[in-house]
Amino acid sequence: MGKLVIINGSPRAVKSNSKRYGEIFKGYWGDSAEEFNVISGRYREICMCVEKHRELLFIFPLYADGIPAVLLGFLKELEKSSYKHKPTVHAIINCGFLEPEQNNVAADMIGLFCEKNGYPLGMILCIGGGEAILDTPFAFMAKRKIKKMAAAIRKGQSYRLKTSMMLTKNMFIKASSKYWTEMGMKNGISREDMDTMEIEGKTNKE
Amino acid sequence: MKLLLSDRELPAELVKRGDYKYISLVQKKIHNCTGCFGCWVRTPGKCVIRDDATEIYPLIAQSEKLIYVSRIYLGSYDIPMKIMLERAIPVQKAFIRIHGGETHHVQRDVKEKEAVIIGYGNLSEKEKNLFENLVERNAKNMSFKRWRISFVEENEVDEAVIKELDLWEN
Repeated sequence: MGKLVIINGSPRAVKSNSKRYGEIFKGYWGDSAEEFNVISGRYREICMCVEKHRELLFIFPLYADGIPAVLLGFLKELEKSSYKHKPTVHAIINCGFLEPEQNNVAADMIGLFCEKNGYPLGMILCIGGGEAILDTPFAFMAKRKIKKMAAAIRKGQSYRLKTSMMLTKNMFIKASSKYWTEMGMKNGISREDMDTMEIEGKTNKE
Repeated sequence: MKLLLSDRELPAELVKRGDYKYISLVQKKIHNCTGCFGCWVRTPGKCVIRDDATEIYPLIAQSEKLIYVSRIYLGSYDIPMKIMLERAIPVQKAFIRIHGGETHHVQRDVKEKEAVIIGYGNLSEKEKNLFENLVERNAKNMSFKRWRISFVEENEVDEAVIKELDLWEN
């Protein structure tokens, strides 16, 4: 039996921060791990692989305050599988907001999935500022918690961790504005363009 | 404008009314959000995926009263409604503000709204509570000034929709 399977629940898959968090986790895990992206649509193959592992780690971003639809689709498929052995489920959830607690609802959904389907629930790590933290001086904070999570999984522990950037909310707003403005500039889009009130080229007054 | 958005076929007895929009997601072609952030940093306010979602999220933004009808799965909107809500992020800007003591995205031209969510399915109390927590979080990101959730069985949905629309009339 393999030890770990990592399932990336990000719609951005290989370009995602979830992928990067997975790479960091593997570095601390120090053992073999199989990896899949849910957007591959290879649900049957992934489900068959899940049974062969002791630990199952979901890594995904917060979408509309919950689990991304693409991962919900996979969870539905996993529910249909009638395994004798069910791995312990863990999750790393990241959101673009400063407060890691904004991931709690999604974490509770993973907990509910486990409860309904008889999977042991293991470690959960909620990351705030998760869109950018790995490219900031605060990357060490995320890495430290991922290291702690990997060690806790090896010990069979089950609890929730959280981390974020050590910034005040106002500092975070300034930093994130700079981050997003630079993202727009790379596409030739000015800060003013990004700041438009229009939706599909219109405002409510038109 | 008042919007009814449902993941089911709409009740046959719905009556056309002035500024009411009724939309069923059943016949709509809506792809998953790819997380490209194009609606923030390439074509601000417009999704780069040009499917039926581009007609719906402006209506979500314009609505002052709305009803979402969705099956509930794991305390979440089930997939059809969840995909639509994920595709509605062009109504927000990339930029962050403090709202309700937390960091949230700045909204574009989105009206504050009264929302009713009709959640259906065979739900445990735990699942209902989790969905309530989700909607409370949504309220901060989706400009709900007031919201109410009505949990019903699947065979009670049409009746619940008609009842809520009648409440709008009165």
